[in-house]
Amino acid sequence: MSILANKDTRVVIQGGQAGVNAARRMAEFCYLIKRPLNVEAFVYPPDAGKTNEIPYGSGLIAIPIYKSITEATKHHPTLNTSLVYIGADRAMKGGMEALDDSHIKVVSMITEGVPEKDAKVLGAHARKLGKVFNGPSSIGIISAGACRLGVIGGAFDNLVLSKLYREGSFGVITKSGGLSNEIIWICSQFADGITTAIGIGGDAYPGTDYVSYLEMFENDPQTKAVVIVGEMGGDLEERAAEWYGAKKRRVKLIAVVSGFCQESLPKGMKFGHAGAKEGMKGEGSARSKSDALKKSGALVPPTFGALGPAIKETYQDLLKSGQVKEPVEPATLPKLPKTIEEAMKADEVMVAPLIRTTISDDRGDEPCYDGYPASELINKGYEIPHVIGLLWDKRLISKQEAEIIKRIMMLSADHGPCVSGAYATILAACAGIGLSQSVAAGMIMIGPRFGGAVTDAGRFFKYAVDNKMSVDEFLAYMKKNHGPVPGIGHRVKSLRNPDKRVKELVGYVKSLKIKTPCLDFALEVEKVTSVKKDNLILNVDGTMAAVLVDIGFPVDSLNGFFILSRTIGLIGHWVDQKRQDSRLIRLFDYLVNYAAPKRREVPPLK
Amino acid sequence: MAKVLEGPGMGLMKKWGINVPNYVVVTSVDELTKLGQANEWLKNSKLVAKAHEALGSRFKLGLVKVDLDFKAAEAATKEMIGRQVGSITVTQVIVSEMIAHTEEYYCAVKSTREGSEVLVANCGGIEVESNWERVKRLCLDIGQAPSQESLEKLAKEAGFTGPLAKKMAAFAGKMFACFDSEDAQYLEVNPVVVRAADEELVALDAVTLLDGDAKFRHPDWNFAFAAEFGRAYSRQELEVMAVDSKIKGSVKFIEIPGGDTAMLPAGGGASVYYSDAVVARGGKLANYAEYSGDPPDWAVEVLTEKVCSLPGIKNIIVGGAIANFTDVKKTFGGIINGFRKAKSEGKLRNVKIWVRRGGPREKEGLDAMRALKDEGFDINVFDRNTPLTDIVDKALQVK
Repeated sequence: MSILANKDTRVVIQGGQAGVNAARRMAEFCYLIKRPLNVEAFVYPPDAGKTNEIPYGSGLIAIPIYKSITEATKHHPTLNTSLVYIGADRAMKGGMEALDDSHIKVVSMITEGVPEKDAKVLGAHARKLGKVFNGPSSIGIISAGACRLGVIGGAFDNLVLSKLYREGSFGVITKSGGLSNEIIWICSQFADGITTAIGIGGDAYPGTDYVSYLEMFENDPQTKAVVIVGEMGGDLEERAAEWYGAKKRRVKLIAVVSGFCQESLPKGMKFGHAGAKEGMKGEGSARSKSDALKKSGALVPPTFGALGPAIKETYQDLLKSGQVKEPVEPATLPKLPKTIEEAMKADEVMVAPLIRTTISDDRGDEPCYDGYPASELINKGYEIPHVIGLLWDKRLISKQEAEIIKRIMMLSADHGPCVSGAYATILAACAGIGLSQSVAAGMIMIGPRFGGAVTDAGRFFKYAVDNKMSVDEFLAYMKKNHGPVPGIGHRVKSLRNPDKRVKELVGYVKSLKIKTPCLDFALEVEKVTSVKKDNLILNVDGTMAAVLVDIGFPVDSLNGFFILSRTIGLIGHWVDQKRQDSRLIRLFDYLVNYAAPKRREVPPLK
Repeated sequence: MAKVLEGPGMGLMKKWGINVPNYVVVTSVDELTKLGQANEWLKNSKLVAKAHEALGSRFKLGLVKVDLDFKAAEAATKEMIGRQVGSITVTQVIVSEMIAHTEEYYCAVKSTREGSEVLVANCGGIEVESNWERVKRLCLDIGQAPSQESLEKLAKEAGFTGPLAKKMAAFAGKMFACFDSEDAQYLEVNPVVVRAADEELVALDAVTLLDGDAKFRHPDWNFAFAAEFGRAYSRQELEVMAVDSKIKGSVKFIEIPGGDTAMLPAGGGASVYYSDAVVARGGKLANYAEYSGDPPDWAVEVLTEKVCSLPGIKNIIVGGAIANFTDVKKTFGGIINGFRKAKSEGKLRNVKIWVRRGGPREKEGLDAMRALKDEGFDINVFDRNTPLTDIVDKALQVK
């Protein structure tokens, strides 16, 4: 047996994420005691109509969310208990809603910082209706082997260690949430464990006090003794003492009270819980409470540390008198399935990874590129081109190579608004499209006819050099197998009107006294092609390609240099249009050659 | 509970129709001089000047001056502002009108478990405290407001007669309205006086305790709450309070000068048992602290830094029960960072650290604490198998 929470308890949780977390803990307990999940519904208007997925064992249970308690109990008429996890400013309304529903008999409020007045009104309302209002600031209620309401009991391992999977003989009532777990643990180590443990909350006026619960425990034959963990402030402990001393009680009462330190502290100092405040004339002090409890016949150990031995003593008496028998522990207990992470940590499973990466890792406190921490690269003077080298080719490039890359990027960052990429970005920007989509629109234009020839140019120049082809052999090979040579030819520029960017880049690279077989070959090709036709010159794509292959970049990365550089320009164009608040562009009719058939009659549909 | 200083307390009473003396709260003499030009009563009445701070025994400290003219009030203000009392600097002075009166009475409203009580006595000032049996009370259920008749009956029981009984009843009614509407937990006027000028009842001095948790529905509570233990909060305490107001869960910190055992325990319940254990073992607490409700690690780190900065400490008690949902690994991470920072600043020399804890990820958290030994910390770590407060026994045995 137990009180308040038992095998028939069916729960609705009012609230959002905190309530979901509690439901997970509750599901762990249900799994431990091999019972179905006791949470049947949530009430949380913002998510009404959806479900919360609560892990149970290795599966997930979908629990519906409703907009009101009435709606929840209509769909789940067996609901009888509500846990309130609503913020302090709305907790009163939520608590009232639950109390006013005829299905709900117990309302436990977890919310902290509820105004005192609200808590008093809720408590009074519950008493009037003959229901139980527990809390506010309650950590929850747990009946061993039967029912868990809230996070009380802690993590799964602690549930097992504290033997909460089966009933003991001790009832527990505490104001403090953290200490409830401590007492449950002590009861399991020094005695046979608990029947029910209740966190009544540390507020000044808990909805239900020690006396009401003592009365319930007194009427629960399984509970042989009750442990109260009190604290200074208020008169709840004195009332408990009064109840205990009023007549012969079946249950034994063991109690500790905190707050003796008060006697040597600045007067009126406020402690942890809202209710822990001594009155002006010493009423509510730890000493007055402790004395009252002792006088009533309760066992009052002098310190918290002495509580364990006191519980043990009581348990031994109960054993001797035959009121309790040594508990029988179950042979096996369900083990909570581990998450993949936990199992991997324990070397229990092997997982085939979904993807494999060889360039970067940000699992530490900062990203590492090819193993080098970003901050260290910065502090040692490395720059963007080095990061490109690390991420695109997994090597730390030299200062000289970095300079080449920097120049390539500077030369290809933008080429005015008229080229396909920039024009597409501008068009999108003028249509009010956002930055990333507009830049993507420009990016889409990069291909065989615009900016996308770098990779192919590099590939074919490299092929020729690797195979020691002559220019004639190469041109014949290209003509036969692929068509025009990528990297050769320009729409506007020609021999007489050379591309300054090419001249600049070639001039710089040539001045470095490095081996440039591809560039040399490309220039040889240009000599031949430009004679055939004036504009068949080595263009900027071809030049970049040859130089990048010469400094060792993999062919597949080459278009990346153009894409990366031009992104700078595309972003610039978008920002430029945005700042001007440009209007939507529409082509003028005179810019279109309307070559479609003239207007004609539509024939009847056959 | 949250104590409110006189100025805002009287403001709330005035809002609910209770007569209070004219008053101004100033932060400088210049401000008072300007107010004197704008308010006739400052020039035409006898005045009282008091330091507007959460200080006990202000009278003895010379921080209350009575029967002043405006010039004298200016002089008193000048003298009080900037005065250092312990760790507190006086920054505000309240200057109010002195009310000529003969009789003094008492009226209070307080919150009780059953509802509330209205208290009335036909004596006031110090007299009421030595004649507590003359205080008559009216008990009200939760949600119940006092009727005019019941208040008149109360006033008559307390010895008021004739028109004065009616006036006292009305005064108590307004007190209740203020108490109930302002989410007060305790409202006391002592003394209530009869103003010689018009025979009206006036509240001369007020104690106002409000429910800080109800602040969300009182947008006009634009004042700060005062410390309740006879001194203002220290800078360190205010810094922890500022962190506390920003986070999920909570961190609390109160300094107790002169102690040598520093506290850094978890949980509102356990922290008091730890403090009790220190006192029971003859130790001297250097502070009260607490973190609870799974606060973020950075908040615990701030709290740890404050604890490590307490002067003259010999032991730090990092105690805690078996947590329900506070992540031990994470919160200990904050404490460990705080310890490292303190050590790098030359603190924690000859300080012993004592740890006891359980709860989610307890093993990882305790292991991380144990590892601090290798970094040169004098640290002793215990798990759930060591009873809660045994670390205090161990700490205070070792000399």
